[in-house]
Amino acid sequence: MTNRHILFGARFATSVLVAATILMVAAPVLAAGVDIAVGAPDEVSVGQNVEVKAVLSEDGIPVEGAEVGLTYQASLAGESARVEIATGTTDETGTAVMIYEQRADDNGEMQVVYLGPDTDPVQPFVFTIAVESAGPQLYLIEPGVTIPFINGTLVILVISTVWILIALAAVYLVRVGLAGRRDEASAAEDGSMWISALLATVAVITAIGMVIVFVRSPVSNTHIKDPHLYDRTPIAYVGVGFSYEGFGLDDESAGQTGDPIEDGGVLYFKYGCAACHGLSGQGAVVGSPLVDEIGSFGSFSEDTREGPKGMPGYHEVTISDQNLEKIYDYLKAGG
Amino acid sequence: MDTLTNWHERLISKTTRATLVTTYKYWLWLGFLIVVTGNGVFQYWKQWQDGLYVTDMRDRISWGLYITAFVFFIGISHAGTLISAILRASKASWRAPVTRIAEFITAIALLVGASFVVIDMGRPERILNVYLFGRWQSPIMWDVMAITTYLTASIIYLSAPMIPDLALYRDRLVDKVGAVRNIIYRTLALDWKGSPKQYKLLGRAITIMMLIIIPIAVSVHTVVSWIFAMTLRVGWDTSIFGVLFVAGAIFSGVATLIVIMAILRRIYHWEEYLTEKHFLYLGYLLAAFGAFMIYVNINEYLTEGFNLEEAGAFAFRQLFLEDFAIMFWFYIIGGLLGPVVLMLVPRTRTIAGVVAAAILVDLAMFLERYFIVVTGLRVPLMPYEPASYGPTFLEWSIFAAGFAIFALLITVAIKIFPMLAIWEMTEEHEAAIAGEPAEEALMTAAEVAGSGASTERSPSPSRPAEEGAS
Repeated sequence: MTNRHILFGARFATSVLVAATILMVAAPVLAAGVDIAVGAPDEVSVGQNVEVKAVLSEDGIPVEGAEVGLTYQASLAGESARVEIATGTTDETGTAVMIYEQRADDNGEMQVVYLGPDTDPVQPFVFTIAVESAGPQLYLIEPGVTIPFINGTLVILVISTVWILIALAAVYLVRVGLAGRRDEASAAEDGSMWISALLATVAVITAIGMVIVFVRSPVSNTHIKDPHLYDRTPIAYVGVGFSYEGFGLDDESAGQTGDPIEDGGVLYFKYGCAACHGLSGQGAVVGSPLVDEIGSFGSFSEDTREGPKGMPGYHEVTISDQNLEKIYDYLKAGG
Repeated sequence: MDTLTNWHERLISKTTRATLVTTYKYWLWLGFLIVVTGNGVFQYWKQWQDGLYVTDMRDRISWGLYITAFVFFIGISHAGTLISAILRASKASWRAPVTRIAEFITAIALLVGASFVVIDMGRPERILNVYLFGRWQSPIMWDVMAITTYLTASIIYLSAPMIPDLALYRDRLVDKVGAVRNIIYRTLALDWKGSPKQYKLLGRAITIMMLIIIPIAVSVHTVVSWIFAMTLRVGWDTSIFGVLFVAGAIFSGVATLIVIMAILRRIYHWEEYLTEKHFLYLGYLLAAFGAFMIYVNINEYLTEGFNLEEAGAFAFRQLFLEDFAIMFWFYIIGGLLGPVVLMLVPRTRTIAGVVAAAILVDLAMFLERYFIVVTGLRVPLMPYEPASYGPTFLEWSIFAAGFAIFALLITVAIKIFPMLAIWEMTEEHEAAIAGEPAEEALMTAAEVAGSGASTERSPSPSRPAEEGAS
C-alpha cells in the first residue's frame, strides 16, 4: 500500500465523517422543511362525509409514516378552541387521507397539522371549507321510521282496553254487592257495596287519567295528530373520539368580562339553560323558547327561582341576581 | 255428605286458627320485624336529609341495591300470576290451597317493589311530576304505567276470589274478633250471601281478571327489563332481556311461594292441605323454569361472547372471571342447575329438597339482579377507569327493611284474612270425593262455603262460578 492510497483513505474517511456530522446537525433543519399540501372540497353540507388529503414532502421527496391531524376552530358562548376531528398517516407517496363527518355549520379556520414522529415544529397548512347553511342545529340525526298505526294511537288503544276490562271486573263486583242486598230481605247488616263502587270508580278514573297523561304529554313526544313528531328528537350532537378540550365554563372567571350580553351567553351555558332551551334560547324539545317570549325581568326571575312545570328552580345560591340579569340581557338581545 | 261437612268444618277451624290464635312467638316475630323496619325508616330519614350521597351510588354506577330490590320484588310478585291465573285458566286441580298465598305475595311484593323506586329517587317529593310531565319516550314512564296497572289488577284479583271466604269470616267470627276486623269483613265481603246470581257475577269478575292479569304480568316484567335493554350499554342492550326477566320473575316467584308455604305449613299445621304433592308440583315447575333459564343464559352469553365486541370483553371478564365471578357462577350452578338436579335425583325429591331448591333460587335470582344492574353500569363507555360500587350500611338497612315490611305485611295479613281459599278448596275436595269434575259439584260447596248461616238450597245443578269462563 502506497502513501497515496493511505492519503486517499484518510481523505475519504474524513469526508464521510464530515458528511455524517453535517447530516446530523442539519437533520432537524431538514425535518422543519416538511411541506404540507392539502386537497379538500371548497364547500360541503352538514352530515356529509368529507375527505381531506394531505401530501407531505421534504425537498420534493414524499414523507412516509408521518402522523397528521385535521383541526377546526370551534367557538361556543364566546369561547373558542381548536378541535381535532380526524388524523391520518402518510403512505409511501406521502399522502394521508382523512375523512370526517361535517357536524358544525361553520368550520372557521381549518388546519392540517404535523403530529409526528419528529418533534420539530412544522408550519401547519391553513385553509377553509365553506359549509352550506343548515339551520340552527349543529347536526340533525335521521328521523325515525314512521310505521302507520304503530304509534301513540295504538298504545292508547291497548291501555284503554286493559283498563276498561279492569273496570268491568270492578263493575261485576259492584253487582255482586247489589245482588246481595236485593236477596236479603232482612238487610240487617251494614251495607258494604260502597267499597266495590269505590274500586270501580278508581279504576275508571285511573283509566281516563292514564290516557290523559298520555295525550297531554309534551308535544314532541307522542303527538297523536302528527306522528312525525313521534320520531326521534333532533338533537345537537357531539360525536365520540374528539380530543375535546372544552371551554372552561367551570372557570370562576367565565362570564366576568364586563360585557353583560357576552357574559350572559357564557352563563347561559354554565348553568345548563342551553340543555333544555336550545343553544341560543330558541327553545327545544323540553324547554320552551326564551328569546322571543321573554317578558319582564321580574317574571323571568320569578320563573327561574321557582321552576315552573318540570323545570328545576334555581335558588339565589346557585345563580346570583347579578348573573341572572346578565342571562336576561343575553336572551333579551336575541340569544 | 257427612264426611264432607266434617272436612269442611276442620278446614274452617284450621284456617281461622291462624287468624284467631296468637302465641308469644308471633309477637316476638312481629317485634323483630318492626325493629328491622324501624331501623330502615330511620336510615331513610337520614337519606332524605342528606340526599343520595349517603349511598355508594355515584355518577358512573348510579343504580345499586335499591334497583336490585325493585327488580327482585317485582319478580317475586309473579308468583300469584302464574300459580293463580295460569293454573286457574288451565283448571289444574291441585292449585286451590296455594292460590291465596300466591295472590297475597303478588300484591305485597308489588307494593314493596314499587316503593324501592321512590327510595332510589333523590327528590322523592317530585314523584307526582312523573304523571304531570311524564315523557313517553322514557322506558321509566312505561314502567310507571305497567306497574300501576298491575298493582290495581292484582288487588282486584286478590280480593275477588276472597269474597266468599270473607263472608264466611264475617258470619263465623263476628263474636271472636274485635270491631276493626268485623268492619273489614263486612266491608270487603260485599253483602255476599252465596246466591247463584252472586256466584255467577263473581265468576265473571274472576274470569276477566284471570285472563287479563297474565298479559299484564308478562308486560310488567318485560317493561322492567326494557329499563335496561333500551339503553346502549354493553350487557344490557339485548333483546333477550324481556324473556330472561319474565322467566326469572316466575322462577323466583314460585321459589318465594314455596318458602312461604313451607313456613306457614309448619307454623299452622296445614299439612293436610299443603301436601307433598303441592310442593313437588311446584318443585317441578321450578326445575322446568331452571332449565329454561339455563337455555336463555347460554343463548345470550354464547351469542354475545362469540361476536365479542370491544367493550363486551370487559363485561365478560368481570362476569365470568373477575369481580363478579363468584356471584355469577353461584347463580349458574347453584341457582339454575341446582334446582334441576335436586328435582332429578329421587332422594332429594321431597319437601325438604324442594324448599332447599327454592332458597337457592331466591338467593341466586337476587344475585343475578344485582350483577345485572351493577356490571352493566360498570362497563366504561369512555376510556376511564371502571368505577366500583359496594352498598353502604344505610343501603343494606333500607334493603333489609324492605324484606321486613314484606314479611310484616304477610304476618299481619294472616291475622286478618283467610290464607287458604276455603270455598275453592271445598269445591276441589268435593269433586275429588265424588270422583267427578269440579264443575258438577259446585253448588253444595258454594252453599257450605258461601254463607255458614244459610240453609237455602239452590236448584241449579250447574256451577255458577265457572259460567263466565265457559
